[in-house]
Parts: sequence; C-alpha cells; structure tokens
Amino acid sequence: MPGFRIPLVLLTLALLMPLSPRADESVRSTVVEAYAEMRTQPGRTYPVFYVAERGETLELLKQRTDWVKVRNYRGIEGWVHVDEIGQMVDASGELLGVHSPNREAYHNRRWEAGLMIGDFDSTDALSAYGAWQFTRNLSVEAAYTENFGEFSDGKMLTASLVHQMFPQARYSPFFTVGGGMRQTNPRSTLVETEDRNDAVANVGAGLRVYLGSRFILRLQYKHYVTMTDRDDDEEAGEWKIGISTFF
Amino acid sequence: MENRHQHFLLTALLAATALPAAAQEPGEVYTPSTERREIHTPGIDTENVEVGVALGMLAIQDFASEPTYGVRAAWHLSERFFFEGSYGAAKADLTSYEKISGGPPLFTDEERDYSYYNLAVGWNVLPGEIYFSEKRSFKSDLYLIGGVGGTDFLGDNWFTATAGIGYRLLLNDSIALRMDVRDHIYDREVFGEEETTHNIEWTAGITFFF
Repeated sequence: MPGFRIPLVLLTLALLMPLSPRADESVRSTVVEAYAEMRTQPGRTYPVFYVAERGETLELLKQRTDWVKVRNYRGIEGWVHVDEIGQMVDASGELLGVHSPNREAYHNRRWEAGLMIGDFDSTDALSAYGAWQFTRNLSVEAAYTENFGEFSDGKMLTASLVHQMFPQARYSPFFTVGGGMRQTNPRSTLVETEDRNDAVANVGAGLRVYLGSRFILRLQYKHYVTMTDRDDDEEAGEWKIGISTFF
Repeated sequence: MENRHQHFLLTALLAATALPAAAQEPGEVYTPSTERREIHTPGIDTENVEVGVALGMLAIQDFASEPTYGVRAAWHLSERFFFEGSYGAAKADLTSYEKISGGPPLFTDEERDYSYYNLAVGWNVLPGEIYFSEKRSFKSDLYLIGGVGGTDFLGDNWFTATAGIGYRLLLNDSIALRMDVRDHIYDREVFGEEETTHNIEWTAGITFFF
C-alpha cells in the first residue's frame, strides 16, 4: 500500500492543475467599448500614447501584474489595463470578462501565500506559508517558521487545516489545527548540547482582513506543544502578523 | 484506524477533483460565470516572476568588506508591490583585533562563512521611464524594500531585519539590470555582550522575468 501513495498523490495533483479550456485560442480581442488606451509601460503612471478605436482587433501578447501587452494590426505595441481587456470580445463575440483582482476573486481564491513576523515564546519569529483553499470554508496550509531565541533557535515545518466560518466576510475569523516537526539548535555560546528534532502539534485562531486588490492582512495566535524526549512536553504561544496574497 | 484516515482523505481528494472535472462538461465550458473567475486572460502568458543573481560587496561589522554573491526571486503582485526572497553568502576574514594582536584566531574558518536569507516586501515608489534615444525607452523602478530573515555567522543564527533601496532598469520585457543597497541589521553577542550590528551590502545584478 505505501508504494501506491506517491503515484496517487502525483496523479491527484496532476488532476488538480488548473486547466484552461481555451488555452490555444483568444489571443486576439476586439474593442467594443468606445476606445481602449494603450500605455508605453505597464503602470497607471505611464502616458497613454495610442488609443485603439471601437472595432480594432488587438493581439494579446503577455500579462504583467494588471497589464496586458497588446499589438494592433499596424504593429503598434502598448500596455492595456486588464479591466479594459475584460470589456473586449473574442473571435466568437463573447466578452473576455477578465478583471484585476477584486473581492469576488478573493472569495473564489484557490491559493494563498504570505509572510509573517511575530513572537514565538518571547523570541523573534518569522514564517512563510502557502495554502490551498479546497472548499469555501476549508484550506490546508504548509508553513516554515524560524525563531531566534537567547538560548536556542528553531526551525519548524508544519501542516495545518484551517477553517473559516464566514468566507464571505471582509474580516474573516478562522480556526486552525496542525502538526509538524521542530528542530531546536542551542546557541553555540552555551555548553555543548545536541540539536533536537521533535514533533509538534498546534491549535490556533486568527483573522484574515481583505485589504483590496491582491492583498490580505493576517493576524493569528497559535498554541504549540512540542513533544520532547524528556519528562515534560514544552508549550509555547505564538503571535503573528503578516501580509498575504492570493491567486 | 489508518485505513479509515486514508478512506477519509481519498474521499476528500476525490470530492475536490470532481469539482474542476464537472466544470469541463460540454455546454458548461462557455458559461460566463466560470470564465470570469479566471484572474488572468486565458491563453496569455503571465510574467510576474523575476529571478536573478547579484554580485557585490558586504561590509561585515567588526570584520572587513568582502565580496558577496546571491540569488533573488521576486513575485510581482501589482505594479507597485512585490514579494522577494534573497539568499546571499560571503566569507569573513580576520577581525581588526586579530590582525593587530597577531594572536591565535578567535574563530574557525567554518565560522567565518557568512550566509543570510530574507523574505521581503518591495514597493516600487518611483516608477519611471528612461529615454535612451528617440525610438528607444526603458522602464525603470526605484524601490524600497524591507524584510526579515536569518543570518548564519560565527556559528549561530541571528534574526535579521533588512532594509534597503534599489533600482531596476528593464532592458526589454524580460531582462532587467538591478542595483541594490541594503542594510542587514541584527543583534549579536559574540564578543561578550549583545550589540546591534549593521552590515551594509551593495550589489549589482541581472534578473529575468518569466
């Protein structure tokens, strides 16, 4: 049975890869609004140097952040905001409908990733995490945490299940449970002690705040239990604040 | 017990895979509601990832300035903000005290290996455009960057805050030249008492967008 697990996981991942049903089409779009503004570079601060008229067909070349590079029939190239591209139609006359990330996109997010800093058991700590939202309410997260204390520093790899009660809310609270491994390295200035590897389990709660565009503010508290080889398990509290993004 | 867990997990995974599969059935593919959930234009290459190398000098406090090299990967979230991860390394020489006193070295060779990583948020505060000739112009960004990470030096790992300023000049849509000045700040207690150290690094680099 264990031999089947890895191929099974890979197969599952392959099935989950987002499939674009029209990957080889719709690289052309036609302006149906009064006009579309082309800028010299991808950004709101750059000047509009060309205005594509209604009926003009643009070739969509590439996208960087919220800007799409286009080329018209005369070979003029410029950057059009993705919201304007969304108002254009494809060869079959259908609206492209794309837009910059908004609250609806946030609620429909599949992936989330972020950076956090804070305090782990009265030491400086930082972490990076990635999450996969598999239902409106549930997501699985993998996090790497490092903390730097006076007597030791630690590295921790954890996986968690996260449940949000009100997925539609702008301020959305969540609960989380998880577990993983922790490596503790005592400071070299102390008496020689061995690095230790221990299992950890955690439970916590937090709040996601949708800031707009592609950004989420995240606050959380987690309580960790480190299962050591010694007589007593170690317990630690962790506060974190972070900035996250989604797609 | 283990079987039950597997059963549960597999059921959950199957349920999750069934969702995208259902959206692909004929007749549903072209409904606007499924199309509009796409964040980027279908069939369009998105180029938001910037990866590159950096070379320069790192002034290690209490040691000399040493050549440093590193790799950087950035993910552009909007025209103004990006996440960036960096890793860099250098090799410290003798401290000034060791040179002058002529005594035995205070640290082993291995302890003098300096390496750091950090995770940062960058803000393109002054986006610009450089007019090289009448027909050619290049995009540029002056950005501020700040982050946290770790420094592995003198046998220990130190919590490090990094702040800096940088300049990016895009030669075309895919290749950029970069210049960075960053201060890596951390508290160290190697010489008996805890002290805050500033380690200024300047680098020049080349990055690629894809």
